[in-house]
Amino acid sequence: MPSSETPIRRGALARQVLPYALLSPAVLVTLAIVFFPMAQAAWMSLHDYILFKPKEFPFVGLKNFFTAFQDEVFWISLRHTVLWIALTVPAQMLLGLVTALLLNQRFPWRALARALIIIPWALPSVVIALMWVWIYDANYGILNEFLLRMGLLKASIPWLADPDTALYAIILTLTWQGFPFFAVMILAGLQSIPKSYYEAASLDGASAWQQFWYITLPGISGVLITAVLLRTIWVANSIDVIFVMTGGGPGYATYTLPLYAFIKARTNLDFGYGSALAVLFTLMLLGLVIVYLRRTGRATS
Amino acid sequence: MSRFISAAALAAGLMVAASAVKAEDTVRFWYHFDNADNPMSALVEKFEAANPDIKIEAENVPWNSYYDNLYTSIVAGNGPDAAMVKMFAQPRLVEMGALEPIGDRIDAWDGKADLQDNLLDLTKAANEETYYLPVQYVVLYLYYRQDMLEELGLEVPKTCEEFRDVAMKLTRDTDDNGQPDVYGFGFRGGKGGHDHWASLVLSRGVDFEKGSLTSEKGVEGTQFVVDLFQKDKVFPASTPNDGFKEVIGAFKAGKTAMTIHHIGSSNGMVEALGDKVSAAPVPECGGGRWTSFGDESTAVFSSAENKDAAWKWISFLSSQGNNAEFNKATGQLPVTKSDSKEWTLHDKRFVDATVNSLPFAHLLPNVPETSDFVNTVWPVNMQRALTGEITAAEMNAAIDDLYNN
Repeated sequence: MPSSETPIRRGALARQVLPYALLSPAVLVTLAIVFFPMAQAAWMSLHDYILFKPKEFPFVGLKNFFTAFQDEVFWISLRHTVLWIALTVPAQMLLGLVTALLLNQRFPWRALARALIIIPWALPSVVIALMWVWIYDANYGILNEFLLRMGLLKASIPWLADPDTALYAIILTLTWQGFPFFAVMILAGLQSIPKSYYEAASLDGASAWQQFWYITLPGISGVLITAVLLRTIWVANSIDVIFVMTGGGPGYATYTLPLYAFIKARTNLDFGYGSALAVLFTLMLLGLVIVYLRRTGRATS
Repeated sequence: MSRFISAAALAAGLMVAASAVKAEDTVRFWYHFDNADNPMSALVEKFEAANPDIKIEAENVPWNSYYDNLYTSIVAGNGPDAAMVKMFAQPRLVEMGALEPIGDRIDAWDGKADLQDNLLDLTKAANEETYYLPVQYVVLYLYYRQDMLEELGLEVPKTCEEFRDVAMKLTRDTDDNGQPDVYGFGFRGGKGGHDHWASLVLSRGVDFEKGSLTSEKGVEGTQFVVDLFQKDKVFPASTPNDGFKEVIGAFKAGKTAMTIHHIGSSNGMVEALGDKVSAAPVPECGGGRWTSFGDESTAVFSSAENKDAAWKWISFLSSQGNNAEFNKATGQLPVTKSDSKEWTLHDKRFVDATVNSLPFAHLLPNVPETSDFVNTVWPVNMQRALTGEITAAEMNAAIDDLYNN
């Protein structure tokens, strides 16, 4: 809010300036490490920029973007990204919801169960990825061993080396990693619902399902939507687990758009094209980001 | 993406700040050792004792991102003064103008005569300049399980036909659970596996010139590899994603009966398998033999502040005695004649397999495209061919396209 023309007392001025002064370090750092690289990526995406030819930086306009639309790998990666988000986030949410409802019941050792459930979320992604690589291993993996002994499989399946199963195997891993986030958020939401609602409902003869549908779900809907939005953005951007588990392979079977952009820039050193892919993906995610910002804006105002 | 760039920018900023306070005669050296039992500090101490005015800052950079880090740090202006480098990276580094020619320094150096013959020719750049000083070398050969061959009364395969036959016989279900638990050959389908493919394909008189890989002979070679996996099933099912760790691990664990690698892994294999493991040159395929020459050199960068100090350090590493120490750590072979003579680190059968493979050891083409071939084009297309998404002909066409368009 800019200061008015009328003379104001020093105290009032200080009160107006102080918040900006206190905020400015954070804003400056964010500008430097988030917005500056973003602008730089947008700028690079309009150029032919191959890192090992540092002297050449010709402006090519939207060429990189048109190349992307004709690039088979771009469409493969986009399809995988859509699958990746559309399966992982709902699966995490459902699992998280069930877990939260269970943890909201009274039972002995509940505190311990609540602490244990957070483990997948607390582990570093690289550790999770390596752990699941071993679980899925075709020769020694416990999953194959288990299914073989149960008689559910005739021969072990190379889960991560088969293009038909690799992406789904990683989606399962990510679901396992991310569901505690939902569980904890939803649990917090559950505990904010007054007990008296349930008492009143049971007096009126509402069944457990009706209580869930008319009291619990509306009660946690705010938390749920925010969590889904946040998680969608995170899951969409996350490449660490895929990168460690398969590196995108076999072939392009586990390429997602952020991973493709990363490989193009970091491994092929084609920063122009890599940036164009990143910019395209950012534009696609922008819709979600706007919805999220509007919600948080409304919540604070 | 943006998160990565911002992290890189931050890291770069910190490094610039850190390097600003350094003394002038500090040599920043990058290397990559898998061996946790790191000997570099002993070599650094020895060098610094002999050259008190030079300080060495040696940094062990993880192999998986070694070249990614090297290229980006050079472009960002804070690369090392000297580093361990391989031939496939040379064309790119030359194109970036990052390398300092050291031909004159090598000519004037008294250690030159002690270098193994031919190594300086192999590491010469396409423009006839010398930028690399060899520091170690290996040649890829065939590892096989002596005991399994004997058990089945088989001979070491000398041709591709024998190789296929032996691999099929070695693929066995030893515990009668209905699926094989030993596979004939451990093929590396992930990054780095081009060496395996090349031995079975480029031996057929095929190279990377236009139309060569896409010729009948070229496609036949790749088809041979694909068939070994899909039809003959002599590679483990996990092959498309298998990297170094998996392939060597499976061989040591007895899951595979043959594989291709170099002497660097021989001590680990002997530790796991003892006398049961032996080695021979790769089989002859389609009338010729082809195996990879695994090179490793050191180079001085044109951005180095004190090039004399950097040269002193890298020539120190390739001198008698020091080179032996260096190679004891990496498990590869010394480049000095004097150290080679007294070499006892490896069992003789592996040294013999290496020496016998030298006559047909090759390097990949010395052009910038080779980096992409190694890092993305080969692995992605090999995996797609192995899993049946594309044909052998399509795979070879993609490689031909990379090199010739």
